[in-house]
This record gives sequence, structure tokens and C-alpha cells, in this order.
Amino acid sequence: MRQIFSYKSQKISYVSEWIQGTLWLHVGGKTFTFESSQVAKKSRKGHIGLAHNKIIAPMPGKITKVLVVEGQVVEKGQAVVVMEAMKMEYTLKTELAGPVEKVKIIVGSQVSLGDILVQINQEPK
Amino acid sequence: MKKIKRLAISNRGEVAVRIIHACHELGIETVLLHSDVDKNSRAFRMVDKAICIGPASTIDSYLNIEANIQGALAAGADAIHPGFGFLSENYKFVEAVEKAGMIFIGPSAKAMKAVGDKVNCKAHAERLGLPLIPGYQGHNQSVDFLLEEAERMTFPILVKAAAGGGGRGMKLLTSRSDAKELIESAQREAQAAFGNPTVFLEKYLDRAKHIEFQVFGDSTGNVKHFFERECSVQRRHQKIVEEALSPSLTDELRRKMGEAACLLTQSVGYQGAATVEFLLQDNQFYLLEVNTRLQVEHPVTEMVLGVDLVKAQILTASGNFVFSPHQVFYPHGHSIECRVYAEDPFQGGIPSTGLLGKIEWPEGPGRRFEYGFEAGDVITSYYDPMIAKIIVWDETRLRAIEKMSRVLKDSIIFGVKTNIPYLLEIINHPEFVKGTMTTRFIEKFFAEPLKELKTNEAEQALLNELSKIKSKPTSVVFSELGMIESPFVGAWRTE
Repeated sequence: MRQIFSYKSQKISYVSEWIQGTLWLHVGGKTFTFESSQVAKKSRKGHIGLAHNKIIAPMPGKITKVLVVEGQVVEKGQAVVVMEAMKMEYTLKTELAGPVEKVKIIVGSQVSLGDILVQINQEPK
Repeated sequence: MKKIKRLAISNRGEVAVRIIHACHELGIETVLLHSDVDKNSRAFRMVDKAICIGPASTIDSYLNIEANIQGALAAGADAIHPGFGFLSENYKFVEAVEKAGMIFIGPSAKAMKAVGDKVNCKAHAERLGLPLIPGYQGHNQSVDFLLEEAERMTFPILVKAAAGGGGRGMKLLTSRSDAKELIESAQREAQAAFGNPTVFLEKYLDRAKHIEFQVFGDSTGNVKHFFERECSVQRRHQKIVEEALSPSLTDELRRKMGEAACLLTQSVGYQGAATVEFLLQDNQFYLLEVNTRLQVEHPVTEMVLGVDLVKAQILTASGNFVFSPHQVFYPHGHSIECRVYAEDPFQGGIPSTGLLGKIEWPEGPGRRFEYGFEAGDVITSYYDPMIAKIIVWDETRLRAIEKMSRVLKDSIIFGVKTNIPYLLEIINHPEFVKGTMTTRFIEKFFAEPLKELKTNEAEQALLNELSKIKSKPTSVVFSELGMIESPFVGAWRTE
């Protein structure tokens, strides 16, 4: 339901709802989210995609190709894992060069958002 | 003439709802053939009967011919509508439906093979003297051979799924270095999406417009065209914004392309709805492909012509739809469609899944909302990210853009991120407003993820105020307990 917020004599119409620990707010033709719980923080920007030495699932989906094996040395920008979600393929690349320490998935694995897929050791300088 | 009493829908989401609406109006009972996870959907709640035909994975449910046939027979259906995607362009499915004694809502298997299969279609079009894009459409699928062919035609080259549409399994090769990886990826995507890994190569036209003609063959095989749509706004060859008519066709081009589209489909005795796709560059048009089904963007044609393509499809298949000899179609006004995808535009469009907490459409004159999910439904990663379509009609193109702008701003979807902010940027971009966009519009102007939206002072104050109020736990728990059921709990149970 549409609600009214008064701010310095402005009348602001908005719709909002808490859904699973996230506040959703629609105001001024835009939708904002605000996350409060620990669950929601897992999906926050910075925690997904490429975090430090880990390749992390940026979305839920299925692994269609694993392009590295443990012990293999990868270069910066090299494709490491291919995954499929919503019928599209996404290639996950590494931003870090070095030996692959751990491969935690196989072809066909169903993964959730934020799952660690591959761990890479930083090359000694 | 056959009377259809009960029609089964081999599809999901908003198109299933679209077909249900048509059936309701025609007095036909409906059956939904669905996967187990799609019990959480608007179509499931609207149909007279629902039959679970398999698990979420498309290969075991929506792409499984036998499961669809058995499900339809078990429900006592006398016809099947395939919607778009999935089995809609699979002639083996048409044959299986007919063998089981049911009516397939679409063309005959013969017509589908003749123009729906890209190899056959190009060969046939060539004989009719229609202009084609240079390419390789043969059966040799070895990656090394395809690489050589690509080099011979010179890059850039497009790789496309032979059996597909909707951009799946389609990749752009710009140089030899990454070509091998991309061809293999295209073959895998084609296998996953259509059950057939065959791919084609095609010379890439780099400043073309995507123009397609809606054609329709009545029960006697008389084909007319319902004018064109322009769908140049595409990302990874997936359409995002479509409109009717095109802002850039001259009357002469419109006449020539419309004639070509009718000639091609009429020559194979086509009955029902088809779309003949062209690329237009420097006033030259080239045949791209024919889609032998209802198209996602069919509503914009319906809006400017005042027709109902789904009802016409059903009536044609039952032998009850014949154009009157004096029937002339005049387009009126302008219509635009935006596809709403469940994805995060601020993070490069990665899919967004989860529980839909709220969905509210700003209804009004000339506004049409096609959607398959409601609050409480879960958007999963198993299927296409398109969760809804917004269609507007207004007297002129500029007014339609203004209306779409307002409608996008006032549409509320909570629970999953959507591309609505991205759609707003697109339709307000000067090149779109001018109507001069090409199929490279998105890569040219929207290569980077959108910048995060900023709150103004008042909005920030409101956000601060609301975030102080603790989340109510009751609104959180219900879905995960109640919605996801173990596979096959509902299998073969009609509800």
C-alpha cells in the first residue's frame, strides 16, 4: 500500500516492505534496498564475484565446465569456471595469478549465490 | 472443422497466462503441463487442471516430448499450445501431438521443417530469390572446420544455434584467438537449450537494424502480413525493447519486405502465426530467419492492429479462421514493449533470484502487463530471466516513450532485482528517441553496468526512518516452508 512521508513540508509517496531481512523501498520512481540481517549480507556487493583469492558464485546455477585442476598455475584473466543460470552461460575468470589450491565443484554441481568454487594461491612475489 | 474443448499448455510464465486468457475468452478449458517448481506461478493458479510433468530441469520436463504428450492425454486435452521457446519449434513434437490424436496450435510439421529449420529456410529463400546474409549453414560441425570457414568469411562472425532463437547459443567471434572457446560454448548452450548442438556461422552486419514481419496464414493457407516490429535493442542477441511499427522503414521498404515475408511463408502453405526476421543495413534487407511460433513481442502488433494473435492461432488450428477477401489491416498509433528481466543492472546484469515479496503494476489507459508471477512466488535459476513484459500504446511514438517512462517508474517489484532502471535509461537515450538505433546500440552505449541510484535528501531521510523499524519475522518465513516441495509430490495429481 502506498504511504505518505512528510519531509520539510514535502509530501512524499512511497511503498516499502521488509522481505527476508532486506528493506525494499519504492520512492520517486526508483527502488532501493537496505540490508540488515547476516543472511542478506552474504549477497552484498563486494562479497560476490571475485573476492581476494576465491572464485565465488555470483548467482545460483549449475556448473557446466571446470577449466582448471588443483595445482595448475593460472594467469590473471584466465577463464576458470563456466556456469549456467537462467539458460545463459557465464564464464568466471580469475583476477589473481598463481597455483590453484582447491577446486570445490565438479561439472553438474548446483551452486548457490556466494558459494566458493575455486581457491587460488597468490604467486609469491 | 474441429472444436477444441480442452487445451493443454506446454509452457510456463507469462506466455502460459497469455494463452489461458485467450482460452477463457473462447470458452476452452485449460490444462497446464508444468515442472514441479512451477506450482508457484500465476498460470498454475489460473488453469482448470494442472499436471506436473517432471522436475525443474527443462530437459526432463518442458523439453520432454513424451512427458508432455502423456500429461496432455491424462488430462483429456484435445489440443496443445506450445507457447514460445521449449518445444514450440520442434517438428517432432508436432508429429507426436498429431500421432496422439490431438491438435497442435501452430503450423504443420511440414511447414515448420520447410521454413523453421534454418538450413532448409535459407535454401528455400534462395530459390525464391530473397536476399540472404553470407554464411555457413552446413552439417559439418567440427570446431576446426568451423574455424576455417569463419576465417574465410573474415571476422566478425556470428555463431548461432541451428534449432534456436532468443539469443541462446549465439556468440560473436571477433578474432581467431577466442573463436574456438566461443564456438564450443555456443554448441553447449544450443544442446542445453534446444537439445541440438548444431550451430551456424554468419557474417556479422555491424550497423544493421532488426526488423521483423508478423505474418499469419489462415485455415485455407492464405497468408497476410500484420506489418513489422523493430527489435534493434538487443543484448547478447536477446531482445530487450521492441516496437511497432518501426520508426525507420520507408513505405517502399515496408511493401517489399512485407511481400518477401508473405511469399516465403505462403509458398510452404503456412498456417498460423510466424515471424519473418530481417536485418536492414543501408536500405538493403537480408533474411535472417523465420520463427514458426508466437513471438514474445507479439503484443505490440496486437496493440497497433487491434488483433488477437493467440485467439487467431487457436481458431486457425481448429479450421475456423479465414481472412475475408476485403479485410485490410491498418496500423494505428504506436506501441512499445519492454521485457522485465530478473537481474541486477548495477552488477552487469547478473541473474537475481528469490522470493517475490511484492509486485504492483500501474494500470491505466493504453498500458498492458503480461506477467507470470505474483507476490509469494519464487524466481528460480532454472529458467529464462524474463519475468514480465510491459506494453504501452499511444497515439505517437514520442507519447508512447513518455508513457513507458512513467509506467516503468511506477512499476513496483520487490524481492528480486530487475532491469527496470536499465530499461528507463534505454528508452530515454537520444539515439532510441530519434529511432536511429542499430543492433549494436547496447554494446555502444551500455557496455558498463549502471551506476548505483542515488537517494536525494528526502529519500535518504525516509530510508533512515524505515530502516530503524525492525523487520517483522513473520513476513519472512512463510515462503521457504510452504513453497518448495520435494520433487514429484504432485506428479500426475490433477488439481
